[in-house]
Amino acid sequence: MILLQSPSRFLLQILQERVLSGEKGMDIDCHTVEFDDVRYHIQFSMRNPKVMVLSVSLPLPPPEAILHDDLPLGAVDAIKATYGPVVQILDPPKDGFDLTMKINLTKLPPDEEQRNAILTQIASIREVVLGAPLKLLLKHLASKTVAPNVDKLVALVHRPNESFFLAPQADKVTIVYPMRFQDSIDIVLATSFLQEFVEARRTAALNNVPSCMWSPAPPLELKGVPADALNANAGFVTFVVYPRHVESKKLDRTVWNLLTFHAYVSYHVKCSEGFMHTRMRRRVESLIQALDRAKSDAEKLKKLVHGASFKRMSLKNEGDSRF
Amino acid sequence: MDALSRPAVVIDNGTGYTKMGFAGNVEPCFITPTVVAVNDSFSSSAPPAARGAPAKGNWLAQHSAGVMADLDFYIGEEALARSRASSTYSLSYPIRNGQVENWDTMERFWQQCIFNYLRCDPEDHYFLLTESPLTAPETREYTGEIMFETFNVPGLYIAVQPVLALAAGYTTTKCEMTGVVVDVGDGATHIVPVADGYVIGSSIRSIPITGKDVTQFIQQLLKERGENIPPEESFDVARRLKEMYCYTSSDIVKEFNKHDREPSKYIKHWGGIKPKTGAKYTVDIGYERFLGPEIFFNPEIYNNDFTTPLQVVIDRCIQSSPIDTRRALYKNIVLSGGSTMFKDFHRRLQRDLKKIVDARLRASNTRLISGDPKAQPIEVNVVSHPIQRYAVWFGGSVLASTAEFYEACHTKAEYEEYGASICRSNPVFKGMY
Repeated sequence: MILLQSPSRFLLQILQERVLSGEKGMDIDCHTVEFDDVRYHIQFSMRNPKVMVLSVSLPLPPPEAILHDDLPLGAVDAIKATYGPVVQILDPPKDGFDLTMKINLTKLPPDEEQRNAILTQIASIREVVLGAPLKLLLKHLASKTVAPNVDKLVALVHRPNESFFLAPQADKVTIVYPMRFQDSIDIVLATSFLQEFVEARRTAALNNVPSCMWSPAPPLELKGVPADALNANAGFVTFVVYPRHVESKKLDRTVWNLLTFHAYVSYHVKCSEGFMHTRMRRRVESLIQALDRAKSDAEKLKKLVHGASFKRMSLKNEGDSRF
Repeated sequence: MDALSRPAVVIDNGTGYTKMGFAGNVEPCFITPTVVAVNDSFSSSAPPAARGAPAKGNWLAQHSAGVMADLDFYIGEEALARSRASSTYSLSYPIRNGQVENWDTMERFWQQCIFNYLRCDPEDHYFLLTESPLTAPETREYTGEIMFETFNVPGLYIAVQPVLALAAGYTTTKCEMTGVVVDVGDGATHIVPVADGYVIGSSIRSIPITGKDVTQFIQQLLKERGENIPPEESFDVARRLKEMYCYTSSDIVKEFNKHDREPSKYIKHWGGIKPKTGAKYTVDIGYERFLGPEIFFNPEIYNNDFTTPLQVVIDRCIQSSPIDTRRALYKNIVLSGGSTMFKDFHRRLQRDLKKIVDARLRASNTRLISGDPKAQPIEVNVVSHPIQRYAVWFGGSVLASTAEFYEACHTKAEYEEYGASICRSNPVFKGMY
């Protein structure tokens, strides 16, 4: 797995099971948490086995990001446009959550392919809600205009108390991520990973992808942003997205990848740590083998005799054997 | 917001299946086979000795191919599907008989569990992992090392599986942490006495009959009877027949008679498709339905080397425990693991065990001289509950949602201060009883 997938596996599994299980209903009430502190609360009741109540809580917004009624700009419209009659937003949302929806599984299209497509979209609720403002801006980019009444610099929620910044223009959108990590080893690995990332962009095969830069200091686009939002310990990553990157089909994928950039980097940092351990383990094993080969024959013999002094026991003769 | 306010992640790595999810839920989010499909084609083609000498471009290509191979693997059902579809992937089972054997694939397995299945940030959650009661402290150290070093978890607790299975029997009125756990899994069968949340290590019994043996026995019976099953599928078919149709009989002879009198009622049919030719075939399943689980109670029908029935082993296990715990142990015998799911398994076990205990009691009463106080009858109770299949996970979920859990965990700060040796012991905490 190189890229994180957009639909939540767990949500999708529950939805599919429920659609296939027929009329038989069971109470389900469970919580899950996803990376960047997105929480879900899933409820099915016995009385309405085909109605799922899904509550979503979003990461805590930093002060510079602007929300409308606790939801990102345009989220409600995006939900209505994506799901149509299947989903109904309940107002006010459940205690402790930002959004509660009622999903009516009886209103799904009968055709299996269409149904699976919409279930996958429901499982991607995170992309729809959190990505709504980003999608809005990128849609305007695709038609080469700037959205009206949008500031020069837009801050969007990325992680709890962290945001990333967009500078929309008519022909391009500049996106800047301040990268923060907790662990000292992670900071080092992430920094070198990001530098490699920029380096990899320069290879000939990747000429058409958005250009990408990394700098240890905040880039010029972030002038006027409060200092609190700029204390990044793994530098700043800048992407420049052009209209060709957000053409019709690519739009959704671009939105998702931009939205979860931090999770992507952190996943790969953890992977590289794992692979380093694999290689370290292999090295230790080969060194131990080398040491074993260097041992004299007398030592090996001693070991063998020592090993044989343990008596094997089985259940049958346990009564009479004593150490 | 810190990790304490989020639910802990509970992962129960079994030999056959891994159960994972978040604490506080009733069911695990995912139950997947513990298997990793690794792409071998890269690792064998790059000899380590030929480094430095060839041109730089070649080295770079090889290097990046190796890096890509590191990300090119699958776990669980996906792994099984991939290995069936193409020969570039080879399957690796990281856990054998309840013990981690291959740490490389185990680390990858956890990585996928966390990032691909649960999709959580390991830095944000406390973790509860499980281990079999016979695990060496070094293994625990190694687990801790991987969890703290690779995944940077804020806190870790490694619980013993039978203790969690006991905790799964919690109700609001009864919080019993004394009992015998009969854990029959796919790869290991343990009988573990637990007193007040502590495992009585010297009395643990293991028997070489597991869920896998039941499957093999059924497979063998079907083959001997000449059922027409393609050989490459026969183990898988036997496993599915076992999970769907097997039950425990109260008396084999009566059961044979019942089947002979009314074959239409008891013989089940199962249809499948041959993977190679695509032709359909059907399998009759008759005596296998009750003979499969019977190998726990009469092992001699399966295996000549091991002939002690399960109930005798349990009785010996309790008899070797400290004398003041024995009554409590007989009273609370808890089943856990997928292979105890056969219908009426607990009734049969309770009846057979009661027979042994009553016989002993009668014998000791006859030896009494008149006037001596008679021994109180002993209560034997085999407890079964509907969530037996993932009882260990559920117990973990219950315990990890108590406030005491967070105090019992080893934290990242402690790990950095003292090293991996802190993971050797995991304190029994108050929430357990």
